[in-house]
Amino acid sequence: MDQQILNAIFIGSIYALFAVGYTLVFGILDILNLAHSAVFMLGAALTYSLVVTHGQPFWIGAVLGVAASALIGLVIEHVCLRPLRRRQAPPIAALISTIGLALVIVAAVEQGKSGSLFSWLWVDGANSVAFPPGTVPNPTWHIGDLTLEASKVLIIPISIALMLILGYVMRFTQVGRGLRAVAENPRAARLMGLDVDRMISLTLVISSALGGLAGILFGLALGDISPYIGRDNVEVRGLAVIVLGGMGSIPGAVIGGYLLGLIEILALVTFGSNARGGVAFAALFLMLVLRPQGLFGTRLRERI
Amino acid sequence: MDFFIQLLSDPIGFWNSHTLLISQIGINGVVATSMFLVLYSGQLSLAAPGFMAIGAYTSVLMELHWHTPVVLNVAVAVILAGIVGLLVGLPVLRLRGVFLAIATIGFIEALHLGVILNVPITGEGLGLQHEADPLGGVPIILVSLVAVVFVVWRLTKGRLGSAWSAIRQDEIAALSQGIHVARYKMIAFIASALIASYAGALEAHLNFFVDPGDSQYGVTRAVQVLTFAVLGGSGFVIGPVVGALIVTLLPYIFEGAGDYINIIAGIFLIAVIIFRPQGIVGRGGLAIVRPAWWPRSRVSAPSPG
Amino acid sequence: MLLRLDDVRRHFGGVHAVDGVSLEVEQGSIQGLIGPNGAGKTTLVNVITGYTRFQSGRAWLESDELSGLPAHRVAGLGIARTFQNIRLFKDLTALENVLIGMHVRRRDDTLAQLGTLPVFRGNEQELIKDAHALLETVGLPSSVGPRHAATLPYGDQRRLEIARALALRPRLLILDEPAAGMNPSEKQGMRELIERLNADGLTILLIDHDMRLVMGVCRRVAVLNFGKKIADGTPKEVSTDPTVIKAYLGTGGEREVRSAPGATGVDEEREVEQAAGSSRAAREPEKAILDVEDLTVSYGAIVAVRGVSFRVAAGEIVALIGANGAGKSTILNTLSGLIRPESGRATFDGLDLANAKASAIVKRGLVQVPEGREILARQTVMENLELATWARRDGATTRRRIEDVLKRFPILGERRDLSAGSLSGGEQQMLAIARGLLARPRLLLLDEPSLGLAPQMVDEVFRAIEEIHKDGTTILLVEQNALRALAIADRAYVIETGRILLSGSGDELLHNPAVRRAYLGG
Repeated sequence: MDQQILNAIFIGSIYALFAVGYTLVFGILDILNLAHSAVFMLGAALTYSLVVTHGQPFWIGAVLGVAASALIGLVIEHVCLRPLRRRQAPPIAALISTIGLALVIVAAVEQGKSGSLFSWLWVDGANSVAFPPGTVPNPTWHIGDLTLEASKVLIIPISIALMLILGYVMRFTQVGRGLRAVAENPRAARLMGLDVDRMISLTLVISSALGGLAGILFGLALGDISPYIGRDNVEVRGLAVIVLGGMGSIPGAVIGGYLLGLIEILALVTFGSNARGGVAFAALFLMLVLRPQGLFGTRLRERI
Repeated sequence: MDFFIQLLSDPIGFWNSHTLLISQIGINGVVATSMFLVLYSGQLSLAAPGFMAIGAYTSVLMELHWHTPVVLNVAVAVILAGIVGLLVGLPVLRLRGVFLAIATIGFIEALHLGVILNVPITGEGLGLQHEADPLGGVPIILVSLVAVVFVVWRLTKGRLGSAWSAIRQDEIAALSQGIHVARYKMIAFIASALIASYAGALEAHLNFFVDPGDSQYGVTRAVQVLTFAVLGGSGFVIGPVVGALIVTLLPYIFEGAGDYINIIAGIFLIAVIIFRPQGIVGRGGLAIVRPAWWPRSRVSAPSPG
Repeated sequence: MLLRLDDVRRHFGGVHAVDGVSLEVEQGSIQGLIGPNGAGKTTLVNVITGYTRFQSGRAWLESDELSGLPAHRVAGLGIARTFQNIRLFKDLTALENVLIGMHVRRRDDTLAQLGTLPVFRGNEQELIKDAHALLETVGLPSSVGPRHAATLPYGDQRRLEIARALALRPRLLILDEPAAGMNPSEKQGMRELIERLNADGLTILLIDHDMRLVMGVCRRVAVLNFGKKIADGTPKEVSTDPTVIKAYLGTGGEREVRSAPGATGVDEEREVEQAAGSSRAAREPEKAILDVEDLTVSYGAIVAVRGVSFRVAAGEIVALIGANGAGKSTILNTLSGLIRPESGRATFDGLDLANAKASAIVKRGLVQVPEGREILARQTVMENLELATWARRDGATTRRRIEDVLKRFPILGERRDLSAGSLSGGEQQMLAIARGLLARPRLLLLDEPSLGLAPQMVDEVFRAIEEIHKDGTTILLVEQNALRALAIADRAYVIETGRILLSGSGDELLHNPAVRRAYLGG
C-alpha cells in the first residue's frame, strides 16, 4: 500500500506537470490546446532519438527536447491560434486547429523509420521503446517493502520544484503579473502597455516546454516511449486534471494532478487495473456536473 | 488515381470491390449527422461514440444471449441510448462550450474504460465476435443514411429547427422569444443519441465484430466525428456527411502521400479551419478567408454556423 | 394597469442594482424609464423579463404573476423585449429572425415536416406572410427578408429586433435603448415607429438615454438613480425636477443646480450656431501634442465616430462631453490603438496612432484610464500598481514612484495588500488613475472617471484630476457629468451621435443651452 501511495505521488507529479501547461493556456486564452499531448510525446521521442540514435548524452537530449517543445509552442501560437484570434473565431475553431497539429506531430513520429523522411526524428515507427539502462544513473533503494528507483523518485522533487518556480514567477514577478493581467482582462493589459500577442507567445512557450519535459520524465521513468504515449496517458487525463482543479487555475492543476494520481491508484487497489481509467473519468464527469468551476476556479457570468 | 478511375469507368466492379469502404462511408455519414444535430442546436457534445457503443453492444449482446430478432435488438439498443441520453443530458446540458465537450468526453471515457473494458459480459478488451445477421449489408446502410439525413433535414426546417437555430445563435435572445431552451437542447441531444446508437448497431453488424478499441468508442473516434462536421461544415445537414466522405476517402484522394497521409490530413484540417471556417459545404460559395499576410485587401468571410 | 412592480429588489454582492422599485405601466401607454449610466435600468428589465432572479418584491402582468418565472415563460405570457446591445440571430436571415419570434404561437409541425404534407403548408405560408407584414410594420422593405441579419445596417438591425419582438404578439413591449448609437434622422424614424406601434394599441416600456426621444414620446417617465426610483411623472415634471437634473448633469461643485445651462430657455438653435461658429476655429491650439483629423470609426455596420477633428495642446485639460452612446469612448479607444479607424488621422507626438501597436502608444506616453476602471480585480492593489510600471520601467526608481503615487492616494496605501476587486467603486477609480500615472503619461485619457460614484467620491476624483494636471500632465477627459467636466476644462467639445456638435472654452459651454439639450433633450 505504501508503494502504491508512492506511485500515486509519482504519477501524479507527471500529471500535474503536464496539466500545469495545459491549464496555463486555458487560463489565459480560454482555449483548449489539444496539441499539448502531442508536445508531451514529442519531447520524449526527440530526447530518446538524440540519446539513442544520435548518441548524445542524456542531458543534451533533454535540453534540446525541451527547447524543441518550446519551439512547437510558438508554432501552435502562430499557425493554430493567432490567425483565428485575429478574426475572433469561436473557441471550437482553435480546438480543431490544435487537433490538426497534433495529428501532424503524431503522424510524423509514427512514420519515423529508417529511410523515411522523419528518420532524424524517430526510427521506431509505432513501437514502444525505452531508454537503455544506464542512460542516467539509476540507483535503487529498498526501505522495508518500498522500492525506490532514483529515476522515479527524483521526478517528484523535480516536478514540485518546477511548479514552485512557475508559481513564484506567476505570483511575484512582473512577467507573472503581466500574464495574469492578460488572462483576467486583455483590454486592460493592452491599455497598460503590455504587448498581448507577445505575452501569449510566451505562455505557449512555457506551457509547451513544461509539456515536453513532462513527456521526457515520463519516458525516462516508465520506460515507455511511443508515438501514442500522449494520447494514451495524458490527453484525456490532462482534461480530468484541469477540470478537477478548476480550468485555468495553476494550483488547481497541481492539486488536480496529485488527486487524479491518488484516485487512480485507489481505483486500482479497490476495483482492479481496468477500472483505473473509468473511475478517473467518472470523477471528471461528476466534478463538471456538481461544480463546473472545479476546486479552485471561479464562476463566470454572461452580461445581458 | 486508380481508385477514382475505377469509380468512373467500372462502377459495378468498384461497388463490388469496395463494399466495406462504401459501408464505412455510410456509417460515418450517419454518425456525422448525429454530430450535426447537436452542433446545429449549439451544443459541443462529443458523446456520439458513447451512444454508438450502447447501440453496438446492446444489439449484439441481445443477439448472442437471447437470440432475439435483429430488428428488435436494434430498436431496443436505440431506445436504451435515448434513455441514457436523457440521464446524461439532464446534468450536463447546463454546461456550455468546451465544458460540455469535456463532460461528454468524461462520459464516453467512463463508459469505454469503466464499462466496456471492465465488465465481463462485454468481452472486455477482446470485444465480441458474433455471427449476427449482417442487416442486409450495404443497401441497408445507404438507405439508412438517406433516411437519417432526410429526417434531420426536415426537422431543421420546421418549428423545432428554427428553435435550434435560435439557440445556436444566441441562447439569451432565444429565451426572449419564448423558446424553452433547456427542452429543445435536450430534444436535440437525445435525437443525436438515437442516431449515433443506430449507427453503432449498424457498424457492429457490418463487421461481425465489436471492436472495443479507442478508435471505435473512445476519444479518438469522438475527435474524428467532430472533424467530419467541422471539415464538411455544420451549417447544412449535408455538410458533415460530405466531411465524413472526404475524411474516409482521404487516403485515396492523397494517394501519393502513402504513409504520410495523416500528416496531410492534419495540415488539411488546419487549412480548412483557418481559410474556410464555415467548412467545405457552407455559405459564401467558394470564398476563402485571406490571412493577414496575404498581399491583397482582406475579405471577411461569414463565421462558422 | 398592465404591468405592476411592487418593491422589486436585486443586489449583486454589495451593489444595490435595483433597490426597492415600484412602478405601474398603464394599458396602452408609453412609459419611459430613464436614469444615468449604471442606474439599474437594464437590471430592472432583466428582473422583469426573468433573466435575473427577484431577490424580493413582486411583479404582475395584469393578473399573471411574473416573479419567479423563467425568461421563456415571461415571454410566453406576452412580454417582448429588445436588448441594449442588439441580440439578433446574426447568421440567420431577417425573415428567419421574425419567424423565430412566432415560436410560441406556431403549431408544432414536426410530424408534418417529416411527412412534408402539403396540408400543413398553408400555416407555413401564413406565417411567412405575417413575417413580411411585420417587417413592413417596422419600416423594413421586404427585400430585407432574405438578407442575413448581421449584414444589415445598424438602424435596420434595431428595427428588425423590434419586428422579432412584435412577432410574439406581446401585451407589453420593452425597448432597451432602441435609439442608442443612431444619428438624428434615424432617431426621428425610431420615434415615429414607437408612436405608430403605440397608436395601434401596444403598451411600451421605453428605456433610453436620449432624453429628446423619451421626453418626446412618453406620457409618463420614471427616473432611476443608484437603483432607486427618484422621480415619476409627466416628462415636464420630471425634466424640471431638481433631483433629476442633479442626477444627470451632476453637481457643479459649489455651483448651484439652478444655474444648469439653458435653464432660461432662450432661442437655442441660434445660440448653437453662434457657439459652433465662433469658438471652433478661434481657439484650436497651434501647436498640439495630440492631433486628430477627420477620424471615422465603425463597428461593422455601425458608424460610431463620423469625421471628428480636434487638437489637444500640451498642458491643457480638454473635455469631450455628450450623452451616452455619442462615440466618446470609441474616440479614446481608437487613440489608444484598441480599435483601428476606418479613415482619418490621429497623431500623438509624431506617432501615427492609427497604425501603432497599443503597447507602443503607451510607451510613447499616451495612457488611458478606461471607462469602468478595468482594474485587475483578482490582483492586489500593489500588484496592479507594479504592473502599471510595465511600459516605462526604470529600475530602482520604480519603487519610489509607486511610493509617490501612494502618497497622493493614501487610501490605496492602506489597502495595498487587498485584492483590487474588494475595493469600493471610488477606491477602484483612484487605483485606475494611479495606475495610469505610473505609466508616466504625457497625455492622460480619462474615460468617465466619475461614473457610478457617490457625489462625495466624485469630488475627490475631480480634485485628484486637477492635482495631476497641476503637476504638468495634459488631460483629455470624457465625462457624462458635464458640469463638473466643463468646470475644470480649458476647452471642451460636445459630441453627439459621433460628431462634434460644438466646441469652446469650458466656461462658454457651461452657459450654452445646447449642452443641456445634448443631455436632457429639448
